[in-house]
Amino acid sequence: MSNERVTEPEVNANANPLDDFDTKETVSTAPESDNSILDFDDDPLSATSVSKKSLVIFFLIDTSGSMKGKKMGELNTVMEELIPEIRRVGEADTEVKVAVLTFSTEVRWMYSNPIPIEDFEWARLRASGVTSMGAAFKELNHRMSRNSFLNSPSLSFAPVIFLMTDGYPSDDYKEGLRELQTNSWYKFGLKAALGIGQEANDNILAEFTGSKDTVVHAYSGGQLAQMIKIIAVTSSQIGSKSMTLSDDTSHELAEEDVFAAKQKLLGQQIQELVSTQTDGDDVPFDTGW
Amino acid sequence: MFNGFSHSVMGASHEKTNLVCQDSSAFKVGDHYAIAVVADGHGSKKHFRSHMGSKFAVEAAIEAIDRFYEDREAFEKNLPVNHKLIIKNIEKQIISNWNMKIDKHLAENPVTDEEKSKFTPEEFEAILPESYYGSTLVAAVAGDDYTFGVQIGDGSLVAIFDDCKAVMPMEYNESAPANVTASVCNSNAAGMFSSFYAPKKKLIALYGSTDGLYTSFGSEYDFLDYHTIITSQLANLDTFKEVIKNNLAKRSRFGTEDDISLSCIYNEELLNEKLDVLKKKVEENKQAAADRKAALLNKKV
Repeated sequence: MSNERVTEPEVNANANPLDDFDTKETVSTAPESDNSILDFDDDPLSATSVSKKSLVIFFLIDTSGSMKGKKMGELNTVMEELIPEIRRVGEADTEVKVAVLTFSTEVRWMYSNPIPIEDFEWARLRASGVTSMGAAFKELNHRMSRNSFLNSPSLSFAPVIFLMTDGYPSDDYKEGLRELQTNSWYKFGLKAALGIGQEANDNILAEFTGSKDTVVHAYSGGQLAQMIKIIAVTSSQIGSKSMTLSDDTSHELAEEDVFAAKQKLLGQQIQELVSTQTDGDDVPFDTGW
Repeated sequence: MFNGFSHSVMGASHEKTNLVCQDSSAFKVGDHYAIAVVADGHGSKKHFRSHMGSKFAVEAAIEAIDRFYEDREAFEKNLPVNHKLIIKNIEKQIISNWNMKIDKHLAENPVTDEEKSKFTPEEFEAILPESYYGSTLVAAVAGDDYTFGVQIGDGSLVAIFDDCKAVMPMEYNESAPANVTASVCNSNAAGMFSSFYAPKKKLIALYGSTDGLYTSFGSEYDFLDYHTIITSQLANLDTFKEVIKNNLAKRSRFGTEDDISLSCIYNEELLNEKLDVLKKKVEENKQAAADRKAALLNKKV
């Protein structure tokens, strides 16, 4: 006996794919974008959730001794406030995850893996020790891999990598950066950096991001809050944007072109937003903070 | 006695761009064997007939495997001894069948002016005719006490043997060049397959799926657990089939918007025998997922 069937594809035409086999009231009243409305008690497959295209935001944060006091206090407060704002970026169709790498004498991840933004809770950081930026670059290179932090089966946007530091590296950052620059996720990722106070070296930060346009500086607590929000929100918005791989003439664009367009857009938007910020009457970090 | 199902859904991104579904899927239940097949047409500009290519790939695979089963006794006697050679021959036969099918289709349906209009004459000349139909392929075969599968390009194969644990048995072909999507249309396609052979193992269920399914999951654990859940419900396939179809549509719509195909074959007797263990496994998997999530949320600083 033979039983052979070739399946003709079925067009996913219904607005709600479960409408035709379940008529619970919640289906017609809940908004379409709410995935949970499609998970019914009688559908055992809903135990495994649907994953959207993901974006991992890597924060590399200097927690060396020079960050002690107002800088670290302000940074902790801003980061706590920032999480709900980033959460809104990914709401529509991107699963945003956050990974925080701190570097001082040692390098440490805040969590053992990138955490979905809806589950992420900021752990207040403390400052002490020296600035092992090169070691942080090496650790990032090690973890930014399909075999490690980026192992989710779901498709990924190139990551956002955001570096914040207030001083000069105490180790061989160039060696670490050379290793990191071989990493494809780094090459295609959106990179931005924030120098905090007078001591941060913008040239080193530009070496990290590849462009001065994506480096900004904060000299006071108020500016620090503004700059972190500008960079984190703008880069996550651009990072989670699907830029087409084909232009109007149907010529297929290389991935490099899409990356370059995104990185350029990030630089432009950061510079535009930074130029609209006011100094206010903040006390600078370097005058007694 | 084997049974099975297969289903393909069109991705939301293809609806938006007025593309047809590029996936095809099928299963066949034969005498003491069964075959599950899925194929994913490449869908990009130069593969403008890949929806036909995936259909031909599915047909080519079933016909090639069936041919080896014309003398099942001889085939099953040789397989344990010469499995590498036999599987290699099946792969070659699939590619040969596929090429014959596309040659016939192209002869009967020459490229239209509309199809050509998307390219400059030079661009069009540079495309090999078989590329018009480019597709991936995953084909899985179950016998009474053995299982094997072949794969070219993206896609997944999941097996649940009598220990009720979902596994991905494919041994990936390391010689296939990195960064090149393996396809039935490649000039050296027969050498680009990956395969596996699992002798002397009782199989409960075997699944092939296109990559739209895999990429709709946040972790490989979830992907494997999904197959265990489906297997635990196969005893009521007639009613559960609709749930699977709708779930695939949901995964496509709210996941990466890609086409999704899933094809399954299963051993009805062994399934019924192991049903309680499977249901227990589903509960264990749920607990393990909760434990993993709790561990993930532990702060390290």
